[in-house]
Order: sequence, then C-alpha cells, then structure tokens
Amino acid sequence: MTVAPPTAKEGTGGRPVPPSGWLAWVTSTDHKRIGVLTIATSLVLFLVMGTFALTMRAQLAQPEQHLVSTELYNQLFTIHGSGMIYMVVTPFAIGMGVYLVPLQIGAPGIAIPRLTLLGYWLYALGALVMLAGFATPGGAHADGWFSYPPMADSVHSPGAGSDLWIAGVFLATTGTIVMGWAVLWTGLRKRTHGMTMLRLPVFSWSMIATCLMVIGAFPALLAALGLLAVGRANPAIFEANVWNIGYQHLFWFYGHPVVYVMFFPYLAAVSEVLAVFSGRRFFGYRGTVLSLLVFAGLSMSVWGHHMFATGQATNDYYSLTSIALLVPAGVEYFAMIGTILGGRLRLGPPMLFALAFIPQFLIGGLTGIMLGTPVIDYHVTDSYFVVAHLHYVLFAGSAFGLFAAVYFWFPKVTGVMLGDRAGRLHFWLLVIGTNVTFLPMFALGYLGMPRRVSAYASFEGFGWLNLLSSVGAAFLAASVLVFAVNVLWTLRRRTLGSAERAPDDPWGGHTLEWATTSPPPRLNFTPDHPVPPVTSFAPLLDQRQRREEGAAAGDGSRP
Amino acid sequence: MIQRHIFGHVFALEALIAAGVFVVVLALLVYALLRRRAGRQATASRRTERPRLEAYYVAVLTAFGVFLVAWTAWQNHREHHTAERPPVRVDVSSFQWCWTFSYPQAPQRRSASGTCRGDDLPTLVVPTGRPVKLRLTSRDVIHSLWVPELRYKMDAFPDHVNSFTLTLDREGRWMGKCAEFCGLRHHTMHFWIKAVSPEEYHRFLQGQQGGGGQGAAA
Amino acid sequence: MKRHLSVLVVAGWGLLNGVLLAVLAVYGESAMVFWLWGGVVVLLELAAVAVLASSRLGPDQHVRYRVPDRAAGAVVPAAFGFLLVALAFVYGAWLLALAGPLLLVAVALAVRGTTAREE
Repeated sequence: MTVAPPTAKEGTGGRPVPPSGWLAWVTSTDHKRIGVLTIATSLVLFLVMGTFALTMRAQLAQPEQHLVSTELYNQLFTIHGSGMIYMVVTPFAIGMGVYLVPLQIGAPGIAIPRLTLLGYWLYALGALVMLAGFATPGGAHADGWFSYPPMADSVHSPGAGSDLWIAGVFLATTGTIVMGWAVLWTGLRKRTHGMTMLRLPVFSWSMIATCLMVIGAFPALLAALGLLAVGRANPAIFEANVWNIGYQHLFWFYGHPVVYVMFFPYLAAVSEVLAVFSGRRFFGYRGTVLSLLVFAGLSMSVWGHHMFATGQATNDYYSLTSIALLVPAGVEYFAMIGTILGGRLRLGPPMLFALAFIPQFLIGGLTGIMLGTPVIDYHVTDSYFVVAHLHYVLFAGSAFGLFAAVYFWFPKVTGVMLGDRAGRLHFWLLVIGTNVTFLPMFALGYLGMPRRVSAYASFEGFGWLNLLSSVGAAFLAASVLVFAVNVLWTLRRRTLGSAERAPDDPWGGHTLEWATTSPPPRLNFTPDHPVPPVTSFAPLLDQRQRREEGAAAGDGSRP
Repeated sequence: MIQRHIFGHVFALEALIAAGVFVVVLALLVYALLRRRAGRQATASRRTERPRLEAYYVAVLTAFGVFLVAWTAWQNHREHHTAERPPVRVDVSSFQWCWTFSYPQAPQRRSASGTCRGDDLPTLVVPTGRPVKLRLTSRDVIHSLWVPELRYKMDAFPDHVNSFTLTLDREGRWMGKCAEFCGLRHHTMHFWIKAVSPEEYHRFLQGQQGGGGQGAAA
Repeated sequence: MKRHLSVLVVAGWGLLNGVLLAVLAVYGESAMVFWLWGGVVVLLELAAVAVLASSRLGPDQHVRYRVPDRAAGAVVPAAFGFLLVALAFVYGAWLLALAGPLLLVAVALAVRGTTAREE
C-alpha cells in the first residue's frame, strides 16, 4: 500500500528571503517554526521566572529577613505565578501541540497558520507588557496570579503595573486561544489518509482534549480581565459583593481547566516516552483516550473547589466533581504503569524524567484529592500546603514532563542529539531539588504558614523547614543551569558542525514524526520520506513488527 | 473544636489512603525498574490492553470515589451543623491590616482592635464549652480568618457577611492569621484567639479586664 | 459514525459539560454561573457544528493538502497594532491613533498577500 505524498503549496510570489534570516522567522507560517518560537520564548521566560522564585526562596530562608522589600516581594510572587502559568507552562504545552500535532497526523502544515503566527506574537508581546510593569514607578502588579478584586482595583492597587498586567495577560491569553483553535482544528480536520480519530497518537489526543478546554474555558479569563479593567476605571463596581464573587467564578472557571491544560500535554509526552522507551505499544489506549476526554469534561466543573472558604460556593457539588477526578486519573496511571510493567525499559534521559513523573505527580494528585475535600481544604487552602501541592503538580509533574519532552524531541527538532551525561546530571539535581524544595512546604502549610507572606516571625517555628526548602531551591537552580548550558552548548556545536547528528528515528519511535527527517523539511514529508501507512496509533511500531514477522516467516519458510 | 476533630479524622484517613496508593505505585515502578530493564533480557509484551481488568479497576475506583464523596460531604455537614443552644455572637471586621472584634451581646458595646504592628495584636475572647458564632466581614478588600490550631478558616468579604460557629473545649490562647493576600502588611495581620472559662467571659463582657488586651493566658 | 467521530468528540464533550451543568443545577449555584457555563456549552456545540460543516464539505482524511502561506507579512504589524490597542487601556486612548494606522497597514498587507517566501 502506498500513500500519495501530500502536495503542495500554492504559488505565492512573495518576497524571497533566506530561510535562516530573521524575516523568514518572524513571518513564517511553518508550524514548526511557530512551535519553536513559542517553546523558545517560554523557556527564556522560564529562566526569568525561576530567578524570581530563587529571590523569594532566599528571602524566606531565614525568619524576618528582608533581602528585598515587601513591595518587591509581592511583585515577585505575582509575576512568578502569572509568568509561569500564563507565559511558560501553558504556552509551552500549546507550542508542543503546534509543532507536533501536524507531524503526528501526517499533515504538511497546521490549520490557520497565519492566525497561529499572530497567536504567537500576541503571546510574546503580552509577556513583555506584563514584565514591563517592573519599569513603572510603582513597580509591577502585586496581587497574585488570580488577583481578586477589590484588592486588584485601582484604589487598592494603584499604578500602571497592574494595568500592564491586565493588558499583558489579556494579549497572551488571546494568543493562546488562537493557537489552541489551530491545534484543535488540525487534529480534527487535517489528518492524513488512514489516520482515523482512533489512530491518533496519545499526544495528539491529549492536545485535542487540551484545546477543547482552551476554547471552552480560556474566554472566561478574558471576561474576568475585562471585568477587572472596568472595575479599575470605576472602582465602585467592586463595592458590590456580587462582582467580587462573580470575578472569582469567572476567574476559576478558567483557572482550574488551565491546570489540566498545563498537565495533559505533559502527561501525554510522558506516555509517548514511556511507550517508546519500553519498546511496546502504549498500554490501554482506548481507556486513556476516553479518560482524557472525561477528565477534561470534569475539569470544567471543579472550579469552585478554589472557593470552598468563601462561604459562597456550592461546596458539595465541587467536592463531588473534584473527587470524581480520581477515576479518570486512575485510568491514566493504570495505562502508564501497565506500559512499563510489560516493557523492556531503556533508561535514556527522556525516560528518566518520564519515570520520575509517575510518583512525583502522584503526590500532587493525591494531595489534590485532599484539597477537593472541603473539611481539609478549610484548613490548608491559602497556606503553603497549597503551594506545595501546586508545585508538585506543575513542577514535579508538568516540568518533568516538559523536560522529558525536550530530551525526547530535541533530536527531531534540531537534528542533533542533546548531551546525554549532562542530561543525567540535570535529572538527578532536579529530582533532589524538587523534593527538597517542595516537600517541606506541605508541613509548613499544615503548621500554619500562609502563602504570599514576605516574611515570618522567628517564634513561629517555620525557620528550618524554610531553610531546607531554600537549600532545595539551590539544587533546582544548579539543575536548570546544567540544562541551559547543555542546550546552548549543543546548539553552539551544531552551528560549528561538531554536534552528534541525530538520525531520523533515534529512539525507535512509534509515531509519524519519526518517519521524516530530523529536522523535518518545510512540508514535513517528502517523496523520499513519505507518510508511512497508518495502521494504528503506533504506525512505525507496526512497520517494525511487520518487518520482524516478515523476516521470521521468511526464515521459517526456508528449508 | 469540632472543626479540628473532623479535620483530624478526615485528614488521617485520606493521608493513610494516599500513602497506601503511593506505596503501591512506587512498588510497581520499582518492580518494573528492577525486572524489566533492557539489560535483564526482558522482552516487551505485545499485549495492547486488558479491558476486563481495567473495567474491574474502574469499578473499584468509582465505588471508592462514591464512598469518599459521601463520607466527606457528611463530615462537612456535621461540621457546620448549627447547635441548638443560642450561640455567643462575635462580630469580626477585617481591614487593611488588622481586625476588630465586637461583642454585640455585651451590656455596653465592647470591641477590641489593634494595629497589628509588632505586639499590638487584637485578642478575640471566647468562652469555652459554648458555641460561638463569628460574623465575618471586611471594610476594604477580601481577607481570610484562619486559626491554624482550629484547622479552619473562612474568607471575609466586603459587602457580605460570612458566619461560622466554633466551640472551644479548653482554655488557651492561639494565634490567628489573615490567609488571603491583602496587600503590604498581609504577612503581619495576626490576632490572638483566647478561650476563657464562661465565668471569666461573663466578667469580660461586663467590662472587667478579664481577658482582653495582651494578658498572657494559660 | 466513524466518519463523523471528530464531530462527535466535540459535540459529546460539550454535552458532557451540559450534563455536569445540569447536576450543578440540582445542587444550586448563583445565576451568573449558569449563564457563564451555559454560554460555554452553546459555544462548544457551535464549534461542533463548524466541525460538522467542515467534514461534510471535505474528506475526513486527506491525501492532498492546500498549504496556504500568503500574507503572513501582515501578522507582525497586526500584532503590534493589537499591542497598541491593549496599551491604550493603560496609557490612554491617544495610542489608538497609532494603532489604527498600523492595523490598516496590516489589512493592506493581508489583502495584497504580501509575505516572505523562504527559498
């Protein structure tokens, strides 16, 4: 069976530019370039947000310490949280989708490429606008990433920094929504011959579930920001409780699904890595697909668990739906564990991060069930327990998935292999740093340390746990430094031509992106590298198995 | 201290279950790491799914989820069950950045406030053994009243009154905090909650300095 | 049915939201929430209709693709135009006087189909 190669490009007659020139980058409608731009931007911002976090951990290392003023501290935690959620982990996830989904479904490009590019630019400019707040006389916005009114109104948070925060987050989120639509439409409507919905790779399925949440939930953030903008023009609005609690509903209607937007793509990246490095098909595919969709659906219904302590939410319902999440989450764990239990494990750097994801994210998930239980939540909400929980989900979970994805797809994207030994060092430092930093925070919250405090008194007894946490943060810093050096050094050597060339399929991959060259050509597949026959969600594995069987049968038939 | 007791039960149970689940998953992971390494001549299974096992597993998860939802909802309602006896009332007003506690049932209007700077923390005085209903509001932004020892907090909104009832079964003094970020001095917005005997509380309401101020307690 | 699985996914997912919303109605919640979530269910069903329309017009799986890349030159001016609109909220409406022309340039570039073509 042969599949006709995808064709091709209408004549455009645009101004010709060299492909490596800046103009080719900023105007490219190649989904791979837009994906790389998004991912690279978010990684740079990741380093910036990380330095904010290190400053905060330095301040909290000892009681009553004031390395930075309280004003600056409040700006740092606000921009760290906003930056990581709006500008790093979410855009990176969508950026992976922009890069990988067209490849995985055998398409030569993404749907609505120009709008996708516009989405990237809105995101990048939005991030700059938010950060520009630090250059204003009053400093950046300082009311946390969820910025409840009336605290966030112009009476209690005067200054242009807060306005810039609203403008920046609005722009970036608009960009993310546009990119989400592009990825969703690509997955649904741009699949190649043979790529039925039930042959979509797990990662592409996760992007469909993710983008459904993006289009369903993200507009609520725009509405919330709009409400905040109106309220900053006319603060009298937030004298009425209905708008204060209304803002919280609007915000969390976005604010919970975004957590799964920051989780599914990484979970699925981990799943792909687990399957490939176990040398077998991902186990329980259909259950996983169904559970992703149910999980995403439930995620739209749980937002009120962030509002248990407001006394103005239907706690029973939100607790019901939050605890119900354990069923689809359990199915996903069943599939991941099932994959490795029957596998033949190779422990390359992507696999290390993927394996560590399993127990570490589990800590975040299990404490999430606790936070979904109102009687527990009343005590630990808005404390360091929540800080620990969300960092286990987003850092010990998603960031490990992120790094697994980087090590896994780096050869495909760049055409060279990322340093293996530095990868292992990065991994072990990250495991130590993550757990030493965030595990003590559970205890701190339980003992009564509220979140978002710039200092704490020495008699409160939080000193040594905070010190431990700050020591962990130093490990995190070292580990991310190793990662950054590894990536930059590898890219430098690629420029010099001395880096280790990546073959088309360095890991024995399962999905279509491994069938084309590294890096893939402009239209992804060429007559030299056509889309192989799509016979399941792991077409390359099928091909290898057919070949093996053919070889075995050939041997058997010989006398 | 019903909140503390219920929190204790539910937290202990959920922590125990969570620990169990974690250990099982970790054990499976370690097993796979030890026995399924490529170096140990393991061969990859070709099995794609086990629908029957998965169905049983989902059924168990669902049953457990139903139990957890029902049981924790019941505990939540037990916690908020209003006592039959008329409660002692205290009005709590929060502001940037401190608290005012008023006692509407006192013969002369009594209230305690402070600046929450240094040691100038207001004290909320309550009797032991009787339900105390706190009516919670704010004069400016959203705050949250949290007493870690009681394992409970509730938000204080402007233009809205939240209330909850607590009963302290022993005398003592504990620190309370603001848990919702409220600006520059959020991190020092503390107060004391002091539980005294009903007699002493009576004297306090009459205006004798039985428990207010900075007086050290048991 | 297989052919319209993509439609079914979107429509079904929207419907799941509707079911969860109905359960919330049993528990009760403020009116605003029903408007918000109800609106989202409608939006998702509209998306499903769009997918349906698209899949009736074209095949479910493609052998030939059209890869549009015209007019990407308009994207950057458009993005900066929107940036100025957003900044007008912070620094005043006078910025709209700059945003307007920039967006017009973007529209002109889009209409003319200007783009950079990689060689």
